[in-house]
Amino acid sequence: MRVAVNIVILGVAVAALFAGGPDQTDKEAKFIGARGKYWAFQRVVRPPAPTATGAWVRTPIDAFILNALEAKKLSPSAPADRVRLIRRVTFDLTGLPPTPDEVAAFLQDRSPNAYEKVVDRLLASPHYGERWALKWLDVVRYADTNGFELDADRTHAWRYRDYVIDSFNRDKPYERFIKEQIAGDEIYPGNREALIATGYLRAGQEHLVAGNIDPEVSRVEVLTEIATSVGQTFLGLTVNCARCHNHKFDPILQADYYRLQAVFAGASGKEVEIATPEDKAAWEAADKAYQERLKPVKDALEQLAKPFEDRIQTERLAKLDPKLQEAWKTPKDKRTPEQRVLADNANQQIEPTWDVIVAAMTPDDREKRAQLRIRLHAVEATEPDPLPTAYVYVNGKEAAPQAYVLRMGDPKNRLEPVEPSVPRVLKASYEIPRESVGRRTALAKWLASTDNPLTARVMANRIWQFRMGTGIVRTPNDFGVMGDRPSNQALLDWLASEFAARDWSVKAIDRLIVTSNVYLQSAVPDKDREAVDPDNRLYWRMNRKRMEGETLRDAILSATGRLNPELGGRPVRVPIEPEVYNLIFTEHERDGLWPVNPDKNVQNRRSIYLYDKRSVRLPLLTAFDQPDAITSCPVRPVSTHALQALSLLNSEFMQEQSRTFAERLVKECRKDNRACEVKTAWQLALARTPSPAERTLAGRFFASGGNLADMCLALLNRNEFVYVP
Amino acid sequence: MSHKPVSQECSQCSGSRPAVTRRDVLARAAHGFGAIALASLLDPPARARERVNALAAKPPHFQPKAKSVIFLFMVGAPSHIDTFDPKPALEKYDGQLLPASYGTVVSEFTKGDTPLLKSPWKFRKYGQCGREVSTLFPHLAERVDDLCFVRSFYTESTVHAPAMYQVNTGRILMGYPSMGSWITYGLGSESENLPAYVVMPQPEGTPEGGTPCWGAGFLPAVYQGTVFRPGPNPIINLRPPEGVTPERQRRTLDFLQSMNEMDTLDSDTEMAARISSYELAFRMQSHAPEAVDISRETEATRRLYGLDQKHTSEFGTRCLLARRLVERGVRFVQIYSGGGPVSMQWDAHSNLVENHEKMGGMTDLPIAGLLADLKQRGLLQDTLVIWGAEFGRLPMSQGGNGRDHNPHGFTMWFAGGGVKPGASIGETDEMGLRGVGQRYHMRDFHATILQLLGLDQNRLWFLHNGRNEKLTDFGGNVIPEMLA
Repeated sequence: MRVAVNIVILGVAVAALFAGGPDQTDKEAKFIGARGKYWAFQRVVRPPAPTATGAWVRTPIDAFILNALEAKKLSPSAPADRVRLIRRVTFDLTGLPPTPDEVAAFLQDRSPNAYEKVVDRLLASPHYGERWALKWLDVVRYADTNGFELDADRTHAWRYRDYVIDSFNRDKPYERFIKEQIAGDEIYPGNREALIATGYLRAGQEHLVAGNIDPEVSRVEVLTEIATSVGQTFLGLTVNCARCHNHKFDPILQADYYRLQAVFAGASGKEVEIATPEDKAAWEAADKAYQERLKPVKDALEQLAKPFEDRIQTERLAKLDPKLQEAWKTPKDKRTPEQRVLADNANQQIEPTWDVIVAAMTPDDREKRAQLRIRLHAVEATEPDPLPTAYVYVNGKEAAPQAYVLRMGDPKNRLEPVEPSVPRVLKASYEIPRESVGRRTALAKWLASTDNPLTARVMANRIWQFRMGTGIVRTPNDFGVMGDRPSNQALLDWLASEFAARDWSVKAIDRLIVTSNVYLQSAVPDKDREAVDPDNRLYWRMNRKRMEGETLRDAILSATGRLNPELGGRPVRVPIEPEVYNLIFTEHERDGLWPVNPDKNVQNRRSIYLYDKRSVRLPLLTAFDQPDAITSCPVRPVSTHALQALSLLNSEFMQEQSRTFAERLVKECRKDNRACEVKTAWQLALARTPSPAERTLAGRFFASGGNLADMCLALLNRNEFVYVP
Repeated sequence: MSHKPVSQECSQCSGSRPAVTRRDVLARAAHGFGAIALASLLDPPARARERVNALAAKPPHFQPKAKSVIFLFMVGAPSHIDTFDPKPALEKYDGQLLPASYGTVVSEFTKGDTPLLKSPWKFRKYGQCGREVSTLFPHLAERVDDLCFVRSFYTESTVHAPAMYQVNTGRILMGYPSMGSWITYGLGSESENLPAYVVMPQPEGTPEGGTPCWGAGFLPAVYQGTVFRPGPNPIINLRPPEGVTPERQRRTLDFLQSMNEMDTLDSDTEMAARISSYELAFRMQSHAPEAVDISRETEATRRLYGLDQKHTSEFGTRCLLARRLVERGVRFVQIYSGGGPVSMQWDAHSNLVENHEKMGGMTDLPIAGLLADLKQRGLLQDTLVIWGAEFGRLPMSQGGNGRDHNPHGFTMWFAGGGVKPGASIGETDEMGLRGVGQRYHMRDFHATILQLLGLDQNRLWFLHNGRNEKLTDFGGNVIPEMLA
């Protein structure tokens, strides 16, 4: 014992030396060294006003852009035409197409601020927040399930999704948005929204599985997810690369990584009831009634299975080693220790799984059972909504365990202890309390300030990337050495300082960007300019954007008139192809795994509300590069392949939508009027009227036997439809 | 340090090559209405333009030994010590506890305190090489001279899904690109008309790791595995809905393509790629059903794969399809034996004999048939066949007659594609518990497979969130003894 104690004391002494000793600090300062001088780690200094002037300069942004273009003897592109412009800005700000009325109103409005009026209308639209949420949820890898094999439902996670939508809609200052997500429970006690915001810390996957799972390993996995996300989301740094060793490229110490983890070590994931007493009383009554509806069906199923289950057990028991049989037959309290093990073994060997029981049934009973299962699912579909509950990450009763640097990230292999802090390269010493409570508050306050050089830059860059198609730094989650250099640092820094100066208003920066001439340019390529700047890093034109799978689906539903614009609420399960259903993993019965919401109108809600299961993706969305919600996705890839075409031509969804579209055209044009139908289709799908060549093409299509629904299908597949101009 | 900024949104990544001109597309599209009607509408007349196909074949880094891969994945994990890695010592220690010198062994459900269990099967030496195989695999045993065994693989997780991710993607985490994705990203496809990377799960259900086992992770979606389901329409949404004739679909497609042509500038490769993807989809609609139509296979071939027997016909069909796909230029085929209910997996926590006899019975003859067929058609030399699982099983019993998971040492075998036939590499300890001497991580497994395909593990990378991600992460070692 004494030896052990001595070792502990020695350990503490050594640890103290490592943790705070001057040697360690020197060592760390040396590691950071000159690499700490990298541009991204320097405080944002608002650059002086650029010198470029002239008619093209509508906003300070334009001046920065024009300066950079002129330095390369480039000039900006002509503005996009008004149709493209309203289509572009409406998709960009709301993720939806403009209605024909909105297009007409804009085209007729010849006032000088006609465009600004459109922008302000869109910024005020509740769909603005939905649009932003798609982007933000990619970055925080949100989904409605845990991931891994069981991939179980996170029944209450969606409140965080709604929180994000609402925050962008209300133009919540970004600094507050950060504080709520990191430490909402601590900083705003009693505030329901701020509590829900901590769901951010649980947005990543979590491995929950039966068996001998080491709780310490699981705890560290959760902290790993959090530290990775906080680094990438708010700091645009790959702090996670320092989990196993000091960062190979950036001046981030392995100790920094575990200091960041330590900030979150005093808290854990919880489900917190947020129901009123009335909610609760109503729910209890509804649940009681539900359980009463459920019980008879469940009992009937059990009774049906019982004789077969018993028979199989008896048969299997008879085949076992006599010693096992005897142990099993001995009453529990009379078993010897050996018999207890043997009885356990016997149990494991004789217990039949459901498929064995079903296989043993008579065809009649099997049919009865199938009918009962259908009834079971029908009753289950009437389950009352669960009690309002927040899916959160909050402090526990116990103090945070001591944090350590882990050798190669192995929870079993502890090196020196560390205390919560922020990466040294960004702040040499920052006071974070050692008490569990308040650690996250301290981190949040530092993250949400201009005291650190990255937060404002990283978010300003995301806003820019979202609107312009590429970032000024094209690696929005990595401002480190392996990341991209800013194509225009003066512009980035000006945007960052403007963002902070405007109370961290995302809408203000959004408005600034989309009302700048750089945004209004046409997206048409140009050989001469391409020769100088092939990747359009200086923004001599607008970037064309392929719609995300989700936006494409919303655009299709909008064209056909079926989009249900309702906001918020529990996620919606839409019908899936049988092939996709088969990919849901279960060791149990395969029925009732995907209870579709029966209301067609609900199925037609925006894609942001579709149930997002990490292991089972919807083909239309995943074909169009929907990320897998496993790691953060700062920029969606854009791939082009045949399975997209198959999905967009042949799927049940597309067939139904093209029929619906055709019905809408017939209805809107009243009498049998092809010209009107063609014109209306173009207006609804492309926000413009067809050209004479297109009318001719459509005419030939009909003349050769084509029908209206097929014309609609073709239109919804068209490049022009799928791209934001 | 030279710095090369690479956009994270790069989709048609390095190595894409021009394939066919737009004129070719139009010529192929000419089914009556198509090209002729269109040509007159296009003004100015169409000029030749390059197209971009992300899946076009790309040159390997160096001379490859294998062109394609068939990966036979045994879901739930067969027991290595009951199949290919005989442990006579277990006869002696049967019923006793694991000697203390082996340390504590915590698996998923057991904690190492259950007695050792000898193999219920007998082993015998086969072939010129004299490798031992248990009586579970009588047919496969006859092909042992074609096989190259590695008996000291290990993984980092005792749990199915993470271990499956590690075999498939190199990491125990969900969401990294699978080996097949990396390989198609590196090499593209030899087939213009079929997906490059095909996955055939057990019809009863998906493996525990689910679709991320063949996911593209952060690589563009074009590189993800395409699931083939049983029946004449293997790919989701492959066939037009009922009532849509090929002529009707072609008419719609021609109309669409004419509009797309009108929109597209000559230099616009992204739009051109989209146009060509519709033509590929159209061709796939006829080629994919042809590829899975086995009605013209001879009786002898059908017997070879066990299509004439109830218990082997399902897996045999998938093995036969694998050969047909590889023949048609598909780069990577993965077949899962097992999935869905526990009774349809190799996961023998109890009733080892019943479980392995069933699963072995379903796969032994078809796999032997696949090897024989590939060989007789001269395909085996270019095709790397891999047999393996997420881990092996423990020498101790679970519940008296089952075995828990063993990630510490287990066997996989390889055939064809430049591996040394008849070889056996690495070993486990006397009990079959852990790899001893040279043990091999999945990084080594992946490095070796890439090597055989002519890919350098360090040159096959993709920038994601600030890291040059690779299949082998910080690097594996090619297993030199495996190379012929």
